[in-house]
Amino acid sequence: MKTAQELRAGNVISVGGEPMVILKAEYSRSGRNGSVVKMKMKGLLSGSGKETVYAADDKFEQIILDRKECTYSYYSDPMYVFMDEEYNQYEVEAENLGDAVNYLMDGMEDKCEVTFYEGKAISVELPNTIVREVEYTEPAVRGDTSGKVMKPAKLVGSGFELPVTAFIEIGDKIEIDTRTNEFKRRAN
Amino acid sequence: MEKDFPRSCDIFCTVVDNYGDVGVCWRLARQLANEHGLAVRLWVDDLHSFGRMLPELDVALSQQTCRGVEIRLWKADMPEVAPAELVIGAFACRLPESYIREMAARERKPVWLNLEYLSAEDWVETHHKLPSPHPQLPLTKYFFFPGFTDRTGGLLIECGLLAQRDAFRADAAMQARYWQGLNVPPQRQVGELRVSLFSYENASIAPLLQAWADGVSPLRCLLPEGCALPQVAAFFGHAGGRAGDVWQCDSLTVHVLPFVEQPEYDRLLWACDVNFVRGEDSCVRAQWAAKPFIWQIYAQQDGVHLEKLEALRARYVEGLPEDAALAVRDLWLAWNGGTDVAAAWARFNERHKLLAEHGLAWGKRLSGNDLALNLLDFSRQVA
Repeated sequence: MKTAQELRAGNVISVGGEPMVILKAEYSRSGRNGSVVKMKMKGLLSGSGKETVYAADDKFEQIILDRKECTYSYYSDPMYVFMDEEYNQYEVEAENLGDAVNYLMDGMEDKCEVTFYEGKAISVELPNTIVREVEYTEPAVRGDTSGKVMKPAKLVGSGFELPVTAFIEIGDKIEIDTRTNEFKRRAN
Repeated sequence: MEKDFPRSCDIFCTVVDNYGDVGVCWRLARQLANEHGLAVRLWVDDLHSFGRMLPELDVALSQQTCRGVEIRLWKADMPEVAPAELVIGAFACRLPESYIREMAARERKPVWLNLEYLSAEDWVETHHKLPSPHPQLPLTKYFFFPGFTDRTGGLLIECGLLAQRDAFRADAAMQARYWQGLNVPPQRQVGELRVSLFSYENASIAPLLQAWADGVSPLRCLLPEGCALPQVAAFFGHAGGRAGDVWQCDSLTVHVLPFVEQPEYDRLLWACDVNFVRGEDSCVRAQWAAKPFIWQIYAQQDGVHLEKLEALRARYVEGLPEDAALAVRDLWLAWNGGTDVAAAWARFNERHKLLAEHGLAWGKRLSGNDLALNLLDFSRQVA
């Protein structure tokens, strides 16, 4: 069993007897040290998607499916194509990528975990931390050195925008937590 | 949609600490029973805490009816009961497994809501009303979030509350009787400010009391019995205190009040010029009182409560001039673990008139979003 707060995009759980793949999991702190997890999930039998919310300590049976380590290869509208070490190619629908789509770019070397259900690639899990280059961000406002002021930054490749600390500049490489889409630090 | 649905409601409440959880549940239970005609059972796991705000409650009884609400002691070995049509688990409390199985077994499933904690943060809007299908059973719970915008569940407000408040404020004789009932002089001294102080333990209490004692104008502090009493007593050199005690130091006079029922506490907030409140329920009541208020939020790990404090402050100060907004921020922060509460109090109090006007407009704006009504509307939608 796994608690809701341990689940992440790409995991498959049983809800009411149906295997559901988690497309996105968003953790929020509620009151009195309680927490909730908002999860976007999709039924592998029905194909229907739903947005749900659970207490962080709600327990789920995790379904272990076949997984393969792959790398992103290319985009073939409307599918994203991944390739394993034996050069087998697997197509994944954009909808099933969840937030991973924010970090896909040509030539990326990050190892991804592709999950299969009845032979079909149904989800992709990125490493918890990845490094991406900043394509554009506004210059830092002088005088603020607290590290708390955030500004948007656009990533090379996907064009995805996320908040970064004020001292980040164009061309910097940054570490991102793919579970939360949060900037962690400047990469060395 | 059935207009007469739901006819019955079970509310489950675990008392974590203090009185906030059961206070909110008791308020909601009375509103659903007395204003909306539901048969309400309130299940509480600690009647002793509950008894402090409901004097006629007999803590020896596991089942009794008070003010239109059936109150049940919620024990580990819960008796087998038929679930109500509407089931509310307050603040993510875990309902008994046997009760959940009984809900799932029903041909027509009850509407099951988790009433969450109050927060002004933006994420609440995107989580409000989302389903939470049970992992094993054919049963769905829904998360219902109170809040400060139309995209949340709103706030608990009794029918006619603001009219009662305004009638109280307009009636000098009623106010005089109220003060006399507390053994507080009805007539104010020239320039006197009356401040209610309801707080958790707080390192800023002593410096704030000192600032009040050093003030040029008299300040009368009304202190309900509770966590803050030992610290206030210590400021006056006493080992402790009890209701009825009156302590004086230069410009400051403190009256220790008994722990009062919810309607009496409302009157205290209405009668005072400034209110220091804590936790969730009294924070909301201070907003209905519409006087300048200072919120001590329940402290959480990693300082996450400070984000929640800032979220409410940011909403509350909308429309205020920047200096007044900063004065609110500075005092709220000083009162929640910050420093220099004396200077922050001075800046806050200089803007008292403006903040009082702002509080009236703010309370009026919030008052149209009635949590009990919203909750019933939603339960009809998903039934």
